[in-house]
Amino acid sequence: MNPSPSQIDFRTNTQQVSRQMVTSVRKATTRFLGTRAGVVGQVANWEELREAGHNIRLHAINHLDHYLELMERRVTEAGGHVHWARTAAEAREIVLSIARQHQVKLVVKAKSMATEEIGLNHALEAAGIRALETDLGEYIVQMAGTGPSHIIVPAVHLTKEEIATLFSEKLHMDAPADPIRLAEIARQKLRQEFIAADLGISGANFLVAETGTLVMVTNEGNGRMCTTLPRVHVAVAGIDKIVPDWESLTVLLKLLARSATGQKITTYTSFITGPRRSEAEQGPQEFHLVLLDNGRSLALGDPLTRETLLCIRCGACLNVCPVYNHVGGHAYGWVYSGPIGSLLSPQLLGSKIAGDLPFASSLCGACGDICPVKLPIPQILLHLRRRVSEGDEIEPAISSRFARWGARVGAIVLTRPWLYRLTCSLLKLVQVPFRRDGWLPALPPPLNRWTMSRPLPVFNARFRSWWSQHQSTLKRS
Amino acid sequence: MGDSRETILGNVRGALGRAPGAPVSSRPPLVAARVPGSRDAEIDRLLSEISALTGVARRVPAGQMDSALQELVHSQSVRKATLWSTSRLEQLGLVSRLGSLGVEIVSPDAGAAALADVDLGITEADFALPETGTLGLFSSPTQPRQVSLVPRIHLAIVHPSALRADLHEVFAEAKQRHYMVFVTGPSRTADIELTVTIGVHGPKVLHAWVVD
Amino acid sequence: MALVNPKPQEPGRTMAAKIQLFITCLAEQFFPTVVERTVELLERLGMQVEFPEAQTCCGQPFFNSGFQNEARVVARKWLDIFSRTEGFIVSPSGSCVDLVRHHYPELFPAGTPEHKRALEVAARVRELSEFLVKELHVTDLAAHYPHKVTYHASCHLLRGLGVVDEPKTLLKNVRGLELVPLEGEQTCCGFGGVFSVIYPEVSRSMMEDKIRAIESSGAEAVVACDAGCLMNIAGGLRKTGSRLKALHLVEVLTANQ
Repeated sequence: MNPSPSQIDFRTNTQQVSRQMVTSVRKATTRFLGTRAGVVGQVANWEELREAGHNIRLHAINHLDHYLELMERRVTEAGGHVHWARTAAEAREIVLSIARQHQVKLVVKAKSMATEEIGLNHALEAAGIRALETDLGEYIVQMAGTGPSHIIVPAVHLTKEEIATLFSEKLHMDAPADPIRLAEIARQKLRQEFIAADLGISGANFLVAETGTLVMVTNEGNGRMCTTLPRVHVAVAGIDKIVPDWESLTVLLKLLARSATGQKITTYTSFITGPRRSEAEQGPQEFHLVLLDNGRSLALGDPLTRETLLCIRCGACLNVCPVYNHVGGHAYGWVYSGPIGSLLSPQLLGSKIAGDLPFASSLCGACGDICPVKLPIPQILLHLRRRVSEGDEIEPAISSRFARWGARVGAIVLTRPWLYRLTCSLLKLVQVPFRRDGWLPALPPPLNRWTMSRPLPVFNARFRSWWSQHQSTLKRS
Repeated sequence: MGDSRETILGNVRGALGRAPGAPVSSRPPLVAARVPGSRDAEIDRLLSEISALTGVARRVPAGQMDSALQELVHSQSVRKATLWSTSRLEQLGLVSRLGSLGVEIVSPDAGAAALADVDLGITEADFALPETGTLGLFSSPTQPRQVSLVPRIHLAIVHPSALRADLHEVFAEAKQRHYMVFVTGPSRTADIELTVTIGVHGPKVLHAWVVD
Repeated sequence: MALVNPKPQEPGRTMAAKIQLFITCLAEQFFPTVVERTVELLERLGMQVEFPEAQTCCGQPFFNSGFQNEARVVARKWLDIFSRTEGFIVSPSGSCVDLVRHHYPELFPAGTPEHKRALEVAARVRELSEFLVKELHVTDLAAHYPHKVTYHASCHLLRGLGVVDEPKTLLKNVRGLELVPLEGEQTCCGFGGVFSVIYPEVSRSMMEDKIRAIESSGAEAVVACDAGCLMNIAGGLRKTGSRLKALHLVEVLTANQ
């Protein structure tokens, strides 16, 4: 995945989406929503859990400096190393220097959005280090040379036939189009790599400040392989991953798995505090934690956009989003997709690059309703739209002069009732040549943006005259 | 690097309007802990949750250990096994019992390549959570991490004293430890066309035996 | 939110209960019948309906496209007009009510007179179906509409105002009407205001899904409570050549065939 797209053109991207992508994505989202509803229904106090989750995450973010320092202190006390990265480039350089120092030739990676965000694989490959994704979905996506289309099931846009062809070509074998046998092939191939790897790289689902513990949830076991077998473990995590204490996890782990995959808990949850404690113990000899800012501290500045950082990356907002369900993940142009992508990308990359995304929503609000930590997604989308349209403390406006001019004229018309009524009358007049049978099937720009998809009802502002007639009738009777 | 640390912390503090060392309010409240059922009910729940995840979960009374092992060894064609050396596992005499079934015992420190060729890894659950069918395993020189991960089959011995009502109890004890893994069923994925596939990287088979 | 709830009115008894009609710009332009029927219905229930004639638009298009300054200017004008009136402010459009109730107070800094006014007005504004059911406690309007009907839940009515059952309760009491379920009742129709013109292809694709669901519900008409959704759905039905009707709730509640 390109760590720094130059410009995300959402409309153009959506026009390149295949029907098969949409069908596959929707199959996944429907399945996830169904199983999620089942397990959430079994939790009597789900709303109480959401509220607690929101409050705990907000507390952590509101005291982030304190918890980051505590995290650093505890990791160091546990024998680990903490690194701070302001940017993607700094984070890549930190990981590269650790790899060089250990003369690493092969890296095995657990699924991590943060490392996708910083484009780590490209950097490692460019330095002559093989970096292998080991989550089955990521392994496939890496082999295909594309990006993930869904945060939880990255390769959901590919059919088993396509994956079989891919495996056959890239692994020089005859792979059958059978999910179970394809998974078995990946198991066999990757086992050798896990054993041979010098360095394991993971992300983090949570960082527990009180003890300096990294928490990672997985289902396949590849995350455990990456953090158990290689002699060095490097974790790359956004500074937003911090939670105060283990008790916080009693709430957050319950919310995460249910919201993500509809499981009560994932198959594996690892709690890792520093490296192994003695040579007699198994596990990595060295543990490094890279704390990544990359634009996050900027989002903290506003009390509303700050809440973006509450996200626990479950993907439920993608599953429920009608827009995501019609376009899939690639249309969002970067690692994060769906409603959360529309919040994160413009804040981490800037509106100039990702300013399209806050508008890629019908503001239906389903994302906010399903979010397990009650992130006010629609409100933040509105704030980011405002940033694009008229600018705010973080960025100046980037909207077109035409749009700004239109808004100004619109406001002038709508605050002058006589001008508004005049406009109503004018609209009724100018529409005449376009009228067909009570409808306006084709209008000139910019209204063609509407009529290209469906006709517009005719302008028919007649209520005011109806009202005055009605009033005089009432008076007479 | 020191610069980055100071810059990030400075930016975070600036954005939050906090001075270095500013006070921290207490963490917001949690949700009440689960109330456990009777011991038998808890064991039943544990077994049913693990079974629902395609794990093989059962009670194994002391007198039936040999037959249970024999059944496992034969049905899964176990040739090689490796295991933890906790005192309870040693008391169960697993090494000699497996030996008499013709199973070769491999050292857990033989290396990942050797363990990849081992059929069975035996551990002892430090915690068991009936609500989700979760087993908690620590790490120490006698509790090597690879045993529950690399072999094809993972057998976890669960003593009823490992039962905990929920995460609250487990975390209160576990936060002192530097490593723990929760295991809930065998390794799984649904990454190809959402087809649930058991055993992609971790063990393909999970046995949990509740032993008194 | 500090809401001062006006006293609920009992229908028929308080002859002079004043109602301020908030017609919304979209309904005025495209659905005059809906506004007229709303007046007739409320008067039939004994309300004294007033129409503040200076009203234009609530500013939602500006607000939703990020032009908050313009939204604020339009909102100020709207508040000028409505804060001088008394009684409930009733509108046949859920999203406009949601804007006034939940977002107007956000547009003005707390403590300012405008903020106070926004809160005062927010407490008085009601969407038609919630006004009928929650304030007038009317669920049966003695309407007669012998057709199969399905219901589309408009997003802001549903998630913004929390109006879930009221429209359906009213529909169920219409004589001869059979309410049939709509698959994806709570899924957005793809309108989304500016969204529909910024990303017309995605909007169309969402609309087509909605039309398919409506078609396969077996209904003869689909009912919604928001002019935006109705423009989109009615246009979509027209485009596909469907004979199904897209109706506002009030059109069914005042039907007497």
